[in-house]
Amino acid sequence: MATIVVLIVFALFLGAILTGGYNKQMLARFRSHWLWDWITTVDHKKIGILYLIGGTIFFVIGGIEALLMRTQLFYPNNDFMVGRTFNELLSMHGTTMIFFVAMPLLFALMNAVIPLQIGARDVAFPFLNALGFWLFLCGGLLMNLSWIFGNAPDSGWTNYVPIALNEYSAGTGIDYYVLGLQISGIGTLIGGLNFIVTIINMRTPGMSFLRMPLFTWTSFVSSALILFGFPPLTAGLFLVMFDRLFGANFFDVAAGGNPVIWQHLFWIFGHPEVYIVILPAFGIMSEVISTFAKKRLFGYTSMVFATLLIGFLGFMVWVHHMFTVGMGPVANSIFAIATMAIAVPTGIKVFNWLFTLWGGKIRFTTAMLYAVGFIPTFVLGGVTGVMLASPPGDYQYHDSYFVVAHFHYVLIGGTVFGILAGVYYWWPKMFGYLLNEKLGKLNFWLFFIGFHMTFFIQHFLGLFGMPRRVFTYQPEDQVELINQISTVGAFLQAVAVVVLVINVIYSYRNRVPAGNDPWDGRTLEWTITSPPPVYNFAQLPKVRALDAFWHEKMNGKKELEPAEPVGPIHMPNNTHLPFLMSLAFFVSGLGFVFRSNEVGALGLIFVFLVMFMRSFEQDHGYHIETDEIEKTEKGASV
Amino acid sequence: MEANTQPTQAQTGKQDSGLKYVASFALMILLTAVAFAAVAMNIVPQGWVIPLILVLAAVQVFLQLFTFMHLDLKKDAVTVSFMVTGLFIGVVCAVAVAILV
Repeated sequence: MATIVVLIVFALFLGAILTGGYNKQMLARFRSHWLWDWITTVDHKKIGILYLIGGTIFFVIGGIEALLMRTQLFYPNNDFMVGRTFNELLSMHGTTMIFFVAMPLLFALMNAVIPLQIGARDVAFPFLNALGFWLFLCGGLLMNLSWIFGNAPDSGWTNYVPIALNEYSAGTGIDYYVLGLQISGIGTLIGGLNFIVTIINMRTPGMSFLRMPLFTWTSFVSSALILFGFPPLTAGLFLVMFDRLFGANFFDVAAGGNPVIWQHLFWIFGHPEVYIVILPAFGIMSEVISTFAKKRLFGYTSMVFATLLIGFLGFMVWVHHMFTVGMGPVANSIFAIATMAIAVPTGIKVFNWLFTLWGGKIRFTTAMLYAVGFIPTFVLGGVTGVMLASPPGDYQYHDSYFVVAHFHYVLIGGTVFGILAGVYYWWPKMFGYLLNEKLGKLNFWLFFIGFHMTFFIQHFLGLFGMPRRVFTYQPEDQVELINQISTVGAFLQAVAVVVLVINVIYSYRNRVPAGNDPWDGRTLEWTITSPPPVYNFAQLPKVRALDAFWHEKMNGKKELEPAEPVGPIHMPNNTHLPFLMSLAFFVSGLGFVFRSNEVGALGLIFVFLVMFMRSFEQDHGYHIETDEIEKTEKGASV
Repeated sequence: MEANTQPTQAQTGKQDSGLKYVASFALMILLTAVAFAAVAMNIVPQGWVIPLILVLAAVQVFLQLFTFMHLDLKKDAVTVSFMVTGLFIGVVCAVAVAILV
């Protein structure tokens, strides 16, 4: 405790020296700083960029963890990262990649694109949007602080009890997992709710549900999955938290508890979670394929229906993660059949993509390469998924590298390819300039080859009997060569990511304005300037068909007909409260991790205080006047 | 015109709806009190305690939904379908976990 006080005082001194002392001008200096603008922003486009930066930082951290693990597995009996360190690496890699990379990067694209696609000026709850981002960042930072304090979570991303309880995981490692996920989980839930309301309520005139672009549709369904899926995780995390911190015994068999409850709660959340991260990727692929094949998406209505069906069935299959728990053949069979049923709507989607490509005027841009590479890769992951869905097979594959190969095929081949396609596709809309296509293609091929090199061969590693989550193997196991190929592939992927970073820097240095519509797009986001003005649409557009912009282009028009006269636009004010509230949550989480309940409670009190401030604050936003809008629009057209 | 008619409607309905809120709030507290009493005071036979509480909970859920969440006012298909889906998923998960654990 004393150390923390000393550190805080030291930080305050340092802050005073660097900012020029605590005086009256300090607040004004803070406010005029560019960082203050980003901290207090409620603009969905800026929050999208913040999500993108946050997700990328954690992507690098999670990637380094993966490289360290692959390096350890390069030789038999290697002693580079062994035992507990390896367990920490694999736990943090999984948790980071799912919660702090896949979800925020998808939220980045959702934030940047959805309001534009449905013709809205912002999301329904801009304040909550900012709060969602800062909570995600605080949760992620809290969890990664565990590396600095030398005690990271080490019982897998699934955090199974009783391994995760005090008895077997002493120290504070698991507490970082529990509290970090709890805090970022609140943020995700808020984000999901926000998008549901935005999509239901904020669509522009004429944008009926069945005229929404598919990315909006899939994000809508995945937001609904967040809404229904995260509460079980929150409940489960509370149980673990109370068991670990306050001596409860929900999972203590001797006291009448049951550890299997955690597995159920985790997977009731965990299975919808994998659909939460794959569905928006499906949406991105549909947009990219339709744009670059220059065709209307084949079977749009069946795509929507398939998305809804996948979302619904996603809640009925969680037990397939627990076949080997021993619930008996009846339970296993029911859930096996439910799982295999999901292959039907997914198959509908795959065929629709293929039929969209069929006869299209295809342009192989980087985004399109990712989309086309995605289809066979994802089908491979889907096929092994159906194999794993069969209980007798699952007893053989369970906890082997076969499972690792399977879920990396769907998570990288599906979600990451989707995110990268989306980043290349919407980058000009977000930042106003295109990413370099040559470097982009190099990035794609390196990543694609590296990915298959790493994970295709892991199927066989699993079939040869190598269990997952072990830090070494013996020379006589004869899996050395396969492991070495896999490691080389992992480093190839890392090179690909470096190429992507170089591409971003290079394209920024040599940027030329991309214009409103660099890809000859079909949807509303391409009708406005890149990057769009604060208010997005000077006049809300009138939508008359699916692929609204394309419809107008085909009718010989350059832009959409407005649905309203030019008038003052009501905008929300920037606010620092979301940042403050998240900071309070962070302090509270850190307090509970260090088993200092006073600090934890103090943080929560501060949270409620900020909520109180927010509730009684009179903030009606501001108006952008007509002449200002006209000036902006004129400047954009020149 | 439409914008004008809505507030007047709300104004006419204001008096009795205020009473409605208080009444259903009191009823909810009563239901909760009965549930606590059923556990604490041994008035109900042992086997009937949990079913009784479940029935009371169901009544309370409907009161919540209709008076405070205004499910009766909004004839909105989206709201209702979200409610029904959530309820369905919740029931399936709860029943399955109860059987399997």
